[in-house]
Amino acid sequence: MTRWLAVRALQALLTLALVAVLLFFLMRLAPGDPLSRLGAEQQISQREIEHLRAQYGLDQPVSRQFVTWVTSVARGDLGNSIEYGRPVTSLIAERLPATLLLGGTVLLINFSLGLWLGAAQAVRRGSPLDRWLTGASLAGYALPSFWLGLVLAWLMAVRWRLLPAAGMQNPLLETDAGLWTRGLDVAAHLVLPAATLVIVSIASTMRYQRRAMLEVLPLPYIVAARAKGVPEALVLRHHAWRNALFPVLTLAGLWLPILATGSVFVESVFAWPGLGSLAAGAVGTRDYPLLMGTALLVSALIVVGGLMADIAYGLLDPRIRWT
Amino acid sequence: MDLTDLRGTLAASVWRRPSGRAALVTLGIIAAVAIAGPTFLPDPAAQPDVVGQASLPPGPGHPFGTDQLSRDVLSRVVGGARISLAVAGLAVLVSVTIGAGVGLVAGYLGGAADAALMRFVDAALAIPRLFILLLLLAVWDHIPIAALIIILGTTGWFGTSRLVRGEVLRLRHQDFVTGAEALGARRARVMFRHLFPNTLGPLLVAATLGVGDVILLEAGLSFLGLGIQPPRPSWGGMIFDAKSVLVTAPWTSIFPGLAIAATVLAVNLLGDALSGAVDPRQS
Amino acid sequence: MASAILRFAVRSGVWASAFTAPLAAQAADPDALVIVTGQQAAMPIPTCMEGPQNLTANSDVADQLFLRLAELPPDLVTTDERRFVPVLAKSWTRRDSLTLAFDLDPRARWHNGRPVTAADVVFTFERARNPKVAPKLAGLLHHIVSVAAEGARRVVIRFDRVYAEQFYDATFNVAPMPAGLVPADAAPCPVVPPVGDGPFRWVRSVPGQFVELAADSGFFLGAPKIRRLFFRTAADPEARVNLLLSGEADATDNIPSPPLSNVERVEEAPGLRVVPLASPVLGYLLFNQRDRGDSTKPHPILSDPSVRRAIALALDRRRMVQSVFGRYGDVPFGPASRLLWIQRGAPAAAGQDTAQARRLLAKAGWVARNEDGILTRDGHPLALSLSYPLTSEARKQMALQVQEQLRGMGIRIDLQRLEGPVWAERRAHGNFDIDFSSATQDPTPSGLTQSWSCSGGTNVAHYCDLGVDSLLNRAITSPPGPAAGRLWQEVLRRIEADQPAVPMYSIAYVYAVSRRFRKAPIRPESSWLRVREWSR
Repeated sequence: MTRWLAVRALQALLTLALVAVLLFFLMRLAPGDPLSRLGAEQQISQREIEHLRAQYGLDQPVSRQFVTWVTSVARGDLGNSIEYGRPVTSLIAERLPATLLLGGTVLLINFSLGLWLGAAQAVRRGSPLDRWLTGASLAGYALPSFWLGLVLAWLMAVRWRLLPAAGMQNPLLETDAGLWTRGLDVAAHLVLPAATLVIVSIASTMRYQRRAMLEVLPLPYIVAARAKGVPEALVLRHHAWRNALFPVLTLAGLWLPILATGSVFVESVFAWPGLGSLAAGAVGTRDYPLLMGTALLVSALIVVGGLMADIAYGLLDPRIRWT
Repeated sequence: MDLTDLRGTLAASVWRRPSGRAALVTLGIIAAVAIAGPTFLPDPAAQPDVVGQASLPPGPGHPFGTDQLSRDVLSRVVGGARISLAVAGLAVLVSVTIGAGVGLVAGYLGGAADAALMRFVDAALAIPRLFILLLLLAVWDHIPIAALIIILGTTGWFGTSRLVRGEVLRLRHQDFVTGAEALGARRARVMFRHLFPNTLGPLLVAATLGVGDVILLEAGLSFLGLGIQPPRPSWGGMIFDAKSVLVTAPWTSIFPGLAIAATVLAVNLLGDALSGAVDPRQS
Repeated sequence: MASAILRFAVRSGVWASAFTAPLAAQAADPDALVIVTGQQAAMPIPTCMEGPQNLTANSDVADQLFLRLAELPPDLVTTDERRFVPVLAKSWTRRDSLTLAFDLDPRARWHNGRPVTAADVVFTFERARNPKVAPKLAGLLHHIVSVAAEGARRVVIRFDRVYAEQFYDATFNVAPMPAGLVPADAAPCPVVPPVGDGPFRWVRSVPGQFVELAADSGFFLGAPKIRRLFFRTAADPEARVNLLLSGEADATDNIPSPPLSNVERVEEAPGLRVVPLASPVLGYLLFNQRDRGDSTKPHPILSDPSVRRAIALALDRRRMVQSVFGRYGDVPFGPASRLLWIQRGAPAAAGQDTAQARRLLAKAGWVARNEDGILTRDGHPLALSLSYPLTSEARKQMALQVQEQLRGMGIRIDLQRLEGPVWAERRAHGNFDIDFSSATQDPTPSGLTQSWSCSGGTNVAHYCDLGVDSLLNRAITSPPGPAAGRLWQEVLRRIEADQPAVPMYSIAYVYAVSRRFRKAPIRPESSWLRVREWSR
């Protein structure tokens, strides 16, 4: 196990390095750069843009820029964002808490509620409840997240004024307000974006769970356990769940990076100050240093997500040996 | 269970199930409307009167209302069906095939093959799809529909491959696999005849959920100038276009939204019926 | 099972209402003003708002923190120095046709208590005139040859030539900042807390959410009635509208439009009113004069002025503007936005005339039609691409209308909706047939040289008419008065006759303002400049 972990860690580092190199060059090959857009909407001449290019070191050959970037990353410095004029690391650090809060809330509700409902559907297969939940969850799934988000915002914030329409905190709240007041303020802002994301994403957890349970329930050992008079709840919890968890674990691994990058659409319609909108903005402005910084974070999480799923497989089924 | 079970009676077995029948009928109706509908309806690109007839609610002349440019929403929903369905169906087929293949190989062979394939998937998941698409945009001015389908398919299988691999890891030490191996079955045979049918559960879920994703993703692409080019309609594109009038002209997004929802629901029911038909234990 | 779901729903409902209760109970501060904008100010410091930092979000905040020497007169005429409004400069004198002397208001203080001195002004101009530090500003100020201090409170600015907008150049483009606020040659600027001399001082910036300013109670022109000022960020236009309609924001500088329904919703909201004001925005279809593949060759179709004219006449621009902007837009005559004073008195733009357009096309040899109904000449179809950035809803809707209207004329338009940076790069490299451009113009008409003179820095379409060049030169150097106005009109007429572009729209920005504020002056050249005078 230890050796396997070491090998995996090495692989992960190599993957990260590969992604970084690939992205660095892909980014510069892609049409458009951080400054050419300035000439289109403002009255800036090509000569002025050349001056700016020199300021940001973009006039250097790509290979030289790469060396500069690699050496500064080796020192733990991701450089300064072109768009914000500030260090990439502090930009990411500022936005990460908002994203983790939203993503964590959604992940928690999605998996606790989704696994429960999916299992309930499988146990009562074909019942009106099963059909109703299938329809409702898929209807939610088919909705584009921005659409649902805007409808909820309109109803809850504009029509009924129950919840805030956007943002993560009320700016008018004094900075010396108590922790409880500020916590409630953030929680109120969290309700709509979290609800939107849960509604559009829960179908996938439910579907995988339902399908996996359906495959497990008719297996001989479950039937045998039932026949032995083991209480139904216990059968489900101890026997069926264990085997049904595989796809869900993979799913959780795939979710981990989404947890950190957030949903661009939902962050956008609710003006949630997370990483997703920061990264999407960085693509739109070709903010190379910021893009590289967020991409590195995402790839690290993808690698970690896969690793955690593999470890969980091993814990669930001791026959799986990692070599 | 064996792959041969999949042939022959499959279609009949799906049709016998109520959910399967409902799904097939719904999809049949959608397909028929997509093929025959446009001939009976006004030109979906026509803008009869951009000032006087824009954003009309559903009424006699326009059963689904008109959009901001006075175009008939019904014509556009029907006109968008062909493209949205073709792109979704084919792209999902491509991505599920690749995803299943890679997942099977990685999970069953393990070791170096597994490591190489899964690290490739890690890397692919980490590179924003946008950049790959932007590079294509640098090469082509307009991307043909076939290329669009291939792009969506070949960049959409990474998650599926991980799901299938997870299933294979669970199954490969079970008796029916070790038994087949003991009898000297070749690896390819074990993978495709014994393991593959047993991974169909999550695979079908991935495929059926994927249809909805791809319809919306296509719309996202046309926002990069890569997808369906204006004035041709697509369902996802219509919903994106209607974003700013969601509250004041809801019909412009509700009707294409209902079309997507109906398709997603029908495809999922079909998936249920299919996996039920494949796995007799569940009936 | 069903009851469990019900229980869950009820329980979450209870929680949700528990959250909302304190929100509703919390008293709003009537003397706070929350302005919602699309971007967040990152660098609201004079001479630092260059390149990516050249944003309205930055200048909006900088306007509150830093005072200009003088502000534009109410009618925005840029050529008459006697009518400018004194702000940081108490008064000024003209020493000769090349020299201006400004006397700073002795009461002016930086927010750290230090008096504003002539040395601060000199420092600011040194930075502003250095093309390595501030390329755009240096370009705008290139007629200034020296800025010198005479004692602690007098600044003398010298120019290298006689022209009408000397005073405008010296006062509008840059507001003085304290010497040493950022290092003299730092570029890009480091992030520092902005210490200014304006009516508001910097409090904090909450990343991705808002910037908070507070009234400076000792402000020498009178403490503002607004005590707290917030610039709240919401990049998504629908989110901005929701914040306004839900009462969480008090004002915005441009209600997202199209769709027009957003403006109507604000008009109907009881707590809000709309204020339309001339905007510096001009939208136009730019014709490439050169071949898109090879810029040394003329464009095979568009180098012919009669085809350009025909396209302009084939379009029903008024109807398009009406459908997209309603009564808040119109079709300009020549490439001048509503904000430019030279627009006043210009004739109306030509209306649609499809018969004349057909005649012009026939004269240019476009007679035959192919099986799709598209005009051809020597077997080549009359097909052109029209590119525009995907972020602009207005241009998207108009481009679709242009495509449909020209299809009726036998001209095929391939729409190229492009991601922002891709669009900009293609435009800069002349890789387009027709580009749907939008310019945000400075209040000065001399900015027109950038795009419409032969050697203009932003003339990407390679339009060149020596007659226009010489007219522009004469208009810029002529002394203020009716003669200058006539010369500018002549410039517009000449460009309109050449048709290097089809001016599509000039618009009003439709501001939303809470009815709580009875006195709320807004300035078209920089929206929130007069928040210091707002009151309930």
